[in-house]
Amino acid sequence: MAQISFENVSKTYPGGKAAALVNFNLNIKDGEFIVLVGPSGCGKTTALRMIAGLEDISGGTLRINDTVANEQAPRDRDIAMVFQSYALYPHLTVAENIAFGLKVRGIKTDVIAKKVRETADLLELTEFLDRKPARLSGGQRQRVAMGRALVRSPNAFLMDEPLSNLDARLRGQMRAEISRLQRMTAVTTVYVTHDQVEAMTMGDRVAVMNKGTIQQLDTPRRLYDKPANMFVASFIGSPPINFMEAAVVSHDGGPAVSCGDFLLPLGISGARLSPRIGGKVILGIRPEHLKVAPQSRSTGVLSAETSFVEDLGATLLLHMSGHGIAIGHANMVEDERDLMKTAPKLKALIDSSHRISRGDAIALTVDPSLVLFFDPETGVTL
Amino acid sequence: MARVSTRRVVFERVTILLITILFLLPVFWLISTAYKPSNQIFSAPPRLTFEPTFDQFRQAFAIFDVVSLVRSSLVISIGTTVLSLLLGVPAGYALARSKSRFAPGFAYFFLAIRMIPAIAALIPFYLLMRDIGLLGTWWAVIVFNTMLNCAFVTWMMFSYFKALPPDMEEAALTDGCTQMGAFLKVAVPTVRSGMIACALFCMMFSWNDFLHPMFLTTLDAKPISVALLTAYGTKDITWGTLGALAHFSTIPIVLMALFMNRYFVQGATNGVQ
Repeated sequence: MAQISFENVSKTYPGGKAAALVNFNLNIKDGEFIVLVGPSGCGKTTALRMIAGLEDISGGTLRINDTVANEQAPRDRDIAMVFQSYALYPHLTVAENIAFGLKVRGIKTDVIAKKVRETADLLELTEFLDRKPARLSGGQRQRVAMGRALVRSPNAFLMDEPLSNLDARLRGQMRAEISRLQRMTAVTTVYVTHDQVEAMTMGDRVAVMNKGTIQQLDTPRRLYDKPANMFVASFIGSPPINFMEAAVVSHDGGPAVSCGDFLLPLGISGARLSPRIGGKVILGIRPEHLKVAPQSRSTGVLSAETSFVEDLGATLLLHMSGHGIAIGHANMVEDERDLMKTAPKLKALIDSSHRISRGDAIALTVDPSLVLFFDPETGVTL
Repeated sequence: MARVSTRRVVFERVTILLITILFLLPVFWLISTAYKPSNQIFSAPPRLTFEPTFDQFRQAFAIFDVVSLVRSSLVISIGTTVLSLLLGVPAGYALARSKSRFAPGFAYFFLAIRMIPAIAALIPFYLLMRDIGLLGTWWAVIVFNTMLNCAFVTWMMFSYFKALPPDMEEAALTDGCTQMGAFLKVAVPTVRSGMIACALFCMMFSWNDFLHPMFLTTLDAKPISVALLTAYGTKDITWGTLGALAHFSTIPIVLMALFMNRYFVQGATNGVQ
């Protein structure tokens, strides 16, 4: 069992332009399942490898169980890591792969054999124990990698995108399986992923990272409901949130936001925007919060034209262009160039009982209490 | 799907057969010579049927100490192979895992050593060996061949280790290995096929090497490759004796190649994931 803490940790690579980690602070509690999520190059894997002792620390202090671990060799940390590539030893059988860590530590053969059997039972690997990794499927290899970590009952588990090489169905299954194993063993776990679904479903707390810093560290629910800034708002949630530039205006004595033809009175939920009347704000509206407006409504209606409909079965994902509405997106590292190429569309996720097809005009409403507001200069949530 | 026509297959097979015969004919002639009575070796036209005899072998054993020659060859080639791998494998690994930007340059520099005409280094090496008192021994040849082969092994293992993702060694480190443990228990077994290829190369090079032992060994330490040449041209020695001696020069290395090849293929197909 272990507590892990980063205190002002930084990492710069020789010749690298930007620092991989900048003043990184994170306290991981004993038994906690923490997820580091962010686009590629955000420093999440660097942070994970620092805990394992595979990456030098340029500055700051890393503590494992109150011991400064900056210079500690990986073997002295008693930490197990699951690699993205699984990193199974190709010359050893499944049983030998699982037993490797125990054997290196000089544990008795009969104890090893018993533990390997138990672990194999737990992960349903018993029938493959004599096989070499080359003769296993992706899912089986993944389980062997898990087994190799589990068998040692280490201080902490580190997982570096362990599910990214699996197909979607298996990924869903393993997500639940890893969560179950973590709850069962109650071993501190640090899990790195770029998949926000994994982050949302698995972690007790999630650290959303970008450009070497933590943007927000919170429970998945709070990340979704109360994102700290535009980056977090856009990273968490699928399909991604809509951003619109809007003017804060006064309407019937209270604040309202106006964006093209769309005027949304905010009522009490907009009280914090009162000082900004006459200024600008960025609205964040999640696609699932947009509803098809009843015919009778006149205010707070967002009218748009459907340019593309994705039928997802239970729901329809509409891609729309609004009248006079400028749709923006947060400054994200990943796929930034791809995002720039296509003009962002307003997205709405609606019930599939509505019959909507391409080219249809549509009127939508949103509950003002669900709308997020961001400072247009800093991107911070208001 | 394109079907390969029967005619083409037949054509290919016949061509391969003809080329194989062309290459093996001299070997066959030499080997068969060892079983012919002396008076039939140069009979014209060549006789395909003859009564096999072991006289040539008896002759060869009478003139040469065959056991000692084969032992010299074995000691020199195994010694060279072991020493080259012992030095070259860790060196290749160190270069492959080095973060220095000069590492690949160094690896190619090692390859360049192999390109030097060995004869250019032979004279200074001869003097060096004379001064340290190793001239005329197996060691002189082993050290010289190791110098050449080890450079090649270093370069070759550098490429093998470079192609190996460091994840496995890192997994070994987190599993509790030291850096050395990760190298010996994980990296080395994973590149086994590469090491066998290197070993095979060193072995063949040293076994067939004629020039270096010719200069660097005396009569006691002479390998069979050198003895073969001295056998040729002297009054007592006939082509038949030479053919008999050639058996001992070719059979061990062919067997070794066949034996190691099995592991080589196995290593390659087991592969990394």
